[in-house]
Amino acid sequence: MWDTITNLLPLVGAALHDFLYGFLPGWLAYLLLGFIFIVILLVSILNTVLAFIWLERRGISRFQVRLGPDRVGPMGLLQPIADAVKLMTKEDIVPAGGDRAVHYLAAVLVFVPALLVFAVLPFAPGVVFADLNIGILYIIAIGSVGVIGVFMGGWASNNKYSLMGAMRAVAQMVSYEVPMVLSVIGVVMVAQSLSLEHIVQAQELPFILLQPLGFFIYFAAASAELNRTPMDLLEAESEIIAGYHVEYSGMKFALFFLAEYANALAVSIIVSTLFLGGWKLPLVPPYIALPLKIFAVFGLMLWIRSTLPRLRVDQLMGFAWKGLLPIALLNIFITGGELLIFKGYPSWLALVNIPLAALILFIWSRLFTIKIRATATSARPAPSARNV
Amino acid sequence: MEIGGNGHGALSPITPEVMRQLDFSEGQTIEAMRGANRRPIPDPDRWLTEEIQKSVLVTSLDSLVNWGRRSSLWPMNFGLACCAIEMICAAVSRFDIARFGMELFRASPRQADLMIVAGTVTWKMAPALRRIYDQMPEPKWVAAMGSCAICGGTFAQGYSVVPGVSRIVPVDVYIPGCPPRPDALIYGLMMLHKKIAKDSIARQARVG
Amino acid sequence: MTRDLSPFELAPLVQRELPSAAVSPTTPALMVEPGSLLAVARLLQESPTLKLDYLVSVTGVDYLDYLEVVYHLASIALNHRVVLKVQLPRGDKPTVPSLTSLWRGADLQEREVYDLMGVYFEGHPNLKRVFLWEGFVGHPLRKDFLY
Repeated sequence: MWDTITNLLPLVGAALHDFLYGFLPGWLAYLLLGFIFIVILLVSILNTVLAFIWLERRGISRFQVRLGPDRVGPMGLLQPIADAVKLMTKEDIVPAGGDRAVHYLAAVLVFVPALLVFAVLPFAPGVVFADLNIGILYIIAIGSVGVIGVFMGGWASNNKYSLMGAMRAVAQMVSYEVPMVLSVIGVVMVAQSLSLEHIVQAQELPFILLQPLGFFIYFAAASAELNRTPMDLLEAESEIIAGYHVEYSGMKFALFFLAEYANALAVSIIVSTLFLGGWKLPLVPPYIALPLKIFAVFGLMLWIRSTLPRLRVDQLMGFAWKGLLPIALLNIFITGGELLIFKGYPSWLALVNIPLAALILFIWSRLFTIKIRATATSARPAPSARNV
Repeated sequence: MEIGGNGHGALSPITPEVMRQLDFSEGQTIEAMRGANRRPIPDPDRWLTEEIQKSVLVTSLDSLVNWGRRSSLWPMNFGLACCAIEMICAAVSRFDIARFGMELFRASPRQADLMIVAGTVTWKMAPALRRIYDQMPEPKWVAAMGSCAICGGTFAQGYSVVPGVSRIVPVDVYIPGCPPRPDALIYGLMMLHKKIAKDSIARQARVG
Repeated sequence: MTRDLSPFELAPLVQRELPSAAVSPTTPALMVEPGSLLAVARLLQESPTLKLDYLVSVTGVDYLDYLEVVYHLASIALNHRVVLKVQLPRGDKPTVPSLTSLWRGADLQEREVYDLMGVYFEGHPNLKRVFLWEGFVGHPLRKDFLY
């Protein structure tokens, strides 16, 4: 009975598989099955994305002691739908002098990679669209394609603010890609596999306890990649209006909007899978455990977003290159040394790693603050020199 | 009309001569607007009393589209004078227009549906205001907030103030007050919601 | 609390340093002739005992018989302040020397006074209208301005 409950999703999939192969020729059943699974995946992703949008608007409102959208539908649940209806019926503008084809393509190129990431994410034991044995590599590769779309959008708009926003986006995403990948290497070393399915299987203890430093680096770098508020310099209203999507209206803007939240969803799932044990949770079936973890991670992002003010550009780049990158390298060295000494990475290493991570973060935060202040004061010209 | 280049080719260096020409063309634009806009643009509300033949399909589609449009009316992030403070108050905790799905103040006119003209419009600002209005995609609405935006207020006879923003852009809702309290602003926005609810895609197709 | 320097104490001090300067103390302010304004202002800024390093505001006043430009100076280091006034005849081109070479902050404020009062600031790097547009006739805060 318990087995049936835990393996509900694979069982349903297998039943569908047997049913279709029962009366259809092999190639048609294969195509149809793939199509059905894609539709299911897309629908559930888009619904979760809409839920995220609603959650974010309501959640931020509650953080700011407001009510938030509550007029359309129960508790304002239909708000994202209303937004979608409005945006779809809005006029679509391509600016004069802009590159029409690239302007269209950019919105698609931002949205599609955000969806492609979901192909290799395991949702339950055996429930994964394509179990690549290089799953993490695929995620990192696809995840950085979106930058090209952002830059295309900024360039094709023929607007200096969008171009500036796009430049910032490229600088930021390329910088944060490096510590993000380096932090994943620690997880891969411990799990001895690049496949996400195996990484989940390897977590008797969630990797957040074995790799606390890696979790911190990955979470910080990933939220910078998502361009969420502490690091949303590429759409800073007070500086560059709306960043790379200044000239986007209607449905194309909606695609950018959706891609942002689809990426947030993807990062939530990746963080849950790599560090929180994926669909594993004692006494809870996997198809409930994973959503719980996803919403917990997204709630943490929401909390950070509504708490922290926006960074300055030099602080942002300094944080990537001077803050995250060295401790990411340090994390690899520590993990490698531990693997060399203690074969098989025993669970009690969590007791070593957590205080070690706290110590490194503390020391690094001290060093990092001093560095920023020193450069800021020396770079500023003397007031008398500026006067003439 | 062109101020600041069109973005094609290399950027020309800003010499004093270029600056002088820009100032001159700006002055000419403003003078032209002052000369051309002696009378207010008629308010776009005559259709409210018109009867349009509508089929069942159009009616039900209308109700869906209008519901979406009025439930997510994103305002332009645009404040001119003291009324803007009241507009900001309407967005924060006590009054909270986020309840109507309006908290997303868009910085880019391309993504905005509603321009709340909050405050005194001077002739120097008029070309910029008209430009922002032109940059907003259809369908778009304008709310004139406060005495100054409605008719120039105390400055109506002045040398520098536009006597009512309806000289420059068509206005959908007038919200009186000096400045109107946030609840007055919200009342005006509710009137705008009612107006949007009466709109029809059949009418829009006929108009243009 | 910021101290107001007495113009009656200040005038002899300025006179001793700059014998050629035409200054006369009045109750609220130190009156300066337009010709010696720049030298007096430089003295007030550079003198180690005064150190008036901050130009608070530049204002124009129309008294029907004459125009007046008012400078509020303050010292952030020594926490005191003083008012300078320059009277100008209502000619067709009332002119005072610009103080932008001493305080960069004077730039926009002098443009404002030029824009609305029609006082010309000699030596200003970019003297043109700020609030009104090129092509506007007259200076609206003058009392003889008719609209």
